[in-house]
Amino acid sequence: MTDFVVPLLAGDDVWVGKPLRPSDRDDWAPALAGGSFSDVSFWRLRRGQLLTAVPELPDPDIDELGLWMGLHNLLVFEHPDRARVWARDITWRRLEGATRTLLTLPAPEDTPTLVARHLSVGAFVDVLRAEVVVSTAIGEIRIPALEAGRRFLRGANGAGREQSVPWLPQAHAPEVERLLDDALRASPLTCLLRPTLAPAGWSPLLAAKLLRQRAWARAVCHAWAIPKDWMRTGGAVMSALLPSLPIVPGPTSDLGSGATRALPEAGAQLALPGAVVPCDPRELGAVVGSLIHLHLLKVLELDTRVGLALGSREPGVLAFLALPLLLPQLSAELGEPVPALASDATSAPVVRRWTEYVDHLAELVPRSVVENLLASLVGRIVKPA
Amino acid sequence: MLPTPMSHALLEPVAAGQTRFRMQGLASDARGIAIGREVLVVLPSIDALVSFLGAYSDEASLDDLVPTMTLEQAQRAGGGHATLIRCGSSDGYAVDRLARLSTTARGQLYTGGGSVFVRWREREAPFGYDLSEPLQGGRDEVVVADVDFLARYTTTHRMDPVELIQRLELRPVPIPLGGVSRDPELCGLKEMALVLVAPALAHRVLRYLWRMEVPMAGYYARLGGDTQSSLLLRLRQPRARALDVLAQVPGIELLAPVSSRAAVEIGWRHPVQLASAQSCLPGDEMFLFRGRAARVERLDGPPRFVDGRHLVESDAGVRLREIGQLREGELEALRVELRMRPSALAREPRAVVIAWEQVALLRHLVYMLPPAALAAARLVPLEEGLVVLAGPSSLGRVTPLGLGAGLLLPLGRRLGEVAPGVLVPDGHELWPRVRPALLRHLLGLLPEEQALYLTPDSDPIRVRPEQLRPLDAAVIGRLSLDDAAVVSPELPAVGVATVRNQRLGRFALWGFGGLPAGGPRPAGEGEG
Repeated sequence: MTDFVVPLLAGDDVWVGKPLRPSDRDDWAPALAGGSFSDVSFWRLRRGQLLTAVPELPDPDIDELGLWMGLHNLLVFEHPDRARVWARDITWRRLEGATRTLLTLPAPEDTPTLVARHLSVGAFVDVLRAEVVVSTAIGEIRIPALEAGRRFLRGANGAGREQSVPWLPQAHAPEVERLLDDALRASPLTCLLRPTLAPAGWSPLLAAKLLRQRAWARAVCHAWAIPKDWMRTGGAVMSALLPSLPIVPGPTSDLGSGATRALPEAGAQLALPGAVVPCDPRELGAVVGSLIHLHLLKVLELDTRVGLALGSREPGVLAFLALPLLLPQLSAELGEPVPALASDATSAPVVRRWTEYVDHLAELVPRSVVENLLASLVGRIVKPA
Repeated sequence: MLPTPMSHALLEPVAAGQTRFRMQGLASDARGIAIGREVLVVLPSIDALVSFLGAYSDEASLDDLVPTMTLEQAQRAGGGHATLIRCGSSDGYAVDRLARLSTTARGQLYTGGGSVFVRWREREAPFGYDLSEPLQGGRDEVVVADVDFLARYTTTHRMDPVELIQRLELRPVPIPLGGVSRDPELCGLKEMALVLVAPALAHRVLRYLWRMEVPMAGYYARLGGDTQSSLLLRLRQPRARALDVLAQVPGIELLAPVSSRAAVEIGWRHPVQLASAQSCLPGDEMFLFRGRAARVERLDGPPRFVDGRHLVESDAGVRLREIGQLREGELEALRVELRMRPSALAREPRAVVIAWEQVALLRHLVYMLPPAALAAARLVPLEEGLVVLAGPSSLGRVTPLGLGAGLLLPLGRRLGEVAPGVLVPDGHELWPRVRPALLRHLLGLLPEEQALYLTPDSDPIRVRPEQLRPLDAAVIGRLSLDDAAVVSPELPAVGVATVRNQRLGRFALWGFGGLPAGGPRPAGEGEG
């Protein structure tokens, strides 16, 4: 706890040592129940407050403990001393299996659990790695930092300087690549906030119930708006959303009696990655509404012109750009982002800019994309007349 | 041609804030005015074209226009001719000026690009016009859409604007009644005059000017078609008398320079302001526009004037004599005393002498001084009073701009400056008025020192630079600063974690030898 979990949440030095066994989880679980880790509770709250003012958090449970242990073990695979450990390959594979067991958690059922998962995984994807840069006769080499008592490096000039680099974008061991997907799958909210990192098969619908709460919808939209290539973010959400759309109930999906359905039943396994997630039409509407709100945020920021001029042929990005064009159909359910007529002098330029932006999108986005979305997406949000 | 009958309007006014237009190439500028890449001025005749160019060159530089300008004679479909000017449009303000000048020259301005042009903005459509329906121009024709008619022009021939400007006929203008000497400025000869002398007269004119001691320079240039070289003279600030004589002699032409490479004969005027049309005179040749002869002379290369004394032949036989011996010691009779005497000459006060009783008033007046005057003011505390100098010193330097403290302080006796660094009471001067530098030398002042005559009767006092104190520093006491209190945030900040590695022992994976109970199979195991 003090070496790994608290520093991970607070942003301090995270110490990675011996891998932890699944059996340790069961041994330590009773200690959690006592609420004896006030540090952990404090830092969970502080990290939650980065997203909303008053986050509602459950007490740490055995699942979260397993998540922490899994994250720790994940880092062991890149330990610089790995080659020194006397173990066969099969043992390392068993460690990978055990870590996957720890990271494989049931889908969160309520909002507090979703948030609690994100606190650990969100901090984990941002983590830095301390490296020592040693200059040698053949140039500079970088090696992961070890605790005190540095190794003697043959041919090194001087002690070398230490640097911190983001851990996630670096090249990783193959086990780490595989386990990272498991870790991200454990936290749908992290994937929603950083959709470009999300593993295959993830769907924004898994965390859609958060978006129905005003505070969380605001937090998510603003997190999307932060990166410079916000269109890629929106495109990633759309490309994850479209394959996981649930079946429209009612006559539109029945292509005659006896005909096989093009899509499997809700919840059934698909051949392609991406399971169909059963969800409320209102939750789907919340996702689409948040994405349209992202457009509005960028219109307010005057950041749209540059982005759109680049143009993109990626289907997800095009679908994302087409969303404001669906407003005539969706506004009955989702409402309008801006009033149709400006009521005062401050909103008039906003309304004008939004109208110009939508007109610009209409020129940019191919008509087929809009019609595709009208057929696939709109019918699942708005009840067919 | 009669206007084409149309059932509906050809153009529609552009609305405020409109950004998209039916007509291709039209865009809105910063003011929201629809403006195309080019403008087209339709003028009824060549005369109108000349008056348009003349009016434009009076107001702005033709050099901006000429690089993109084409002049065309065009035939209008259905009969009639017109002269078309096309040029690139830079911004709305420049096009506004073109529109105003083209109206003055009985023409009309249109904006657009390629082969289609629409009417420029006017009172009814302050943001310009757009086509009400798309319009296509044919090959080799220009379609002009006005509010109520449509005109198609076909180019018959093109004119080179540069050549046109060179070939324009000069227009006579009256010379002042009393001759050139009455108003050389009106004829443009005040600063410099160019004199073109016929070959046969060259020597006589040179001799006359040399005798009159007129400073001159000149060279012989062969004009197009002449067998002998003519003389071109340059007179700087010529005397009126010499100009009068030269202007009346047949065979001599006075030319006024209008730009560095063009000169126009006096009594004539070029329709275009040549000073604003440098690019119309290509190369580095000199152009002489002669009105009476109705010719334009192109001199090869820039004129290379030779000083006048090399042009005349001297036959003087006189020699100069050196002075052998100076008479010394006989100047005693000339010696006089340097005295102070009252004078009515007004001088700006450079310093004030404030009695010590009035220092309390000065303390209040310091608040009135503007910052520049306060910063420059210097102080010399003396037994007789406090001397406030307007600046550190004006010794041979430019005096500071604005009013000095000496003028602004209504206290004490004022001192004026008779020589750099020599201050005398106001209303007095030193007599006789010797050179300022000599005065300093006589007083024995070092470069940075100043001499003050506090009263007319007393001897001057010497003030050294280190004795001057800044006034602002002297009146303000010491200020004390409070240290800023830094408040640390209540809660610790959440940062980004850094991975560090503890040492792994040889047996770090001890205990993973067997399968964990109830766990799924590891990836890759049991395949194949």
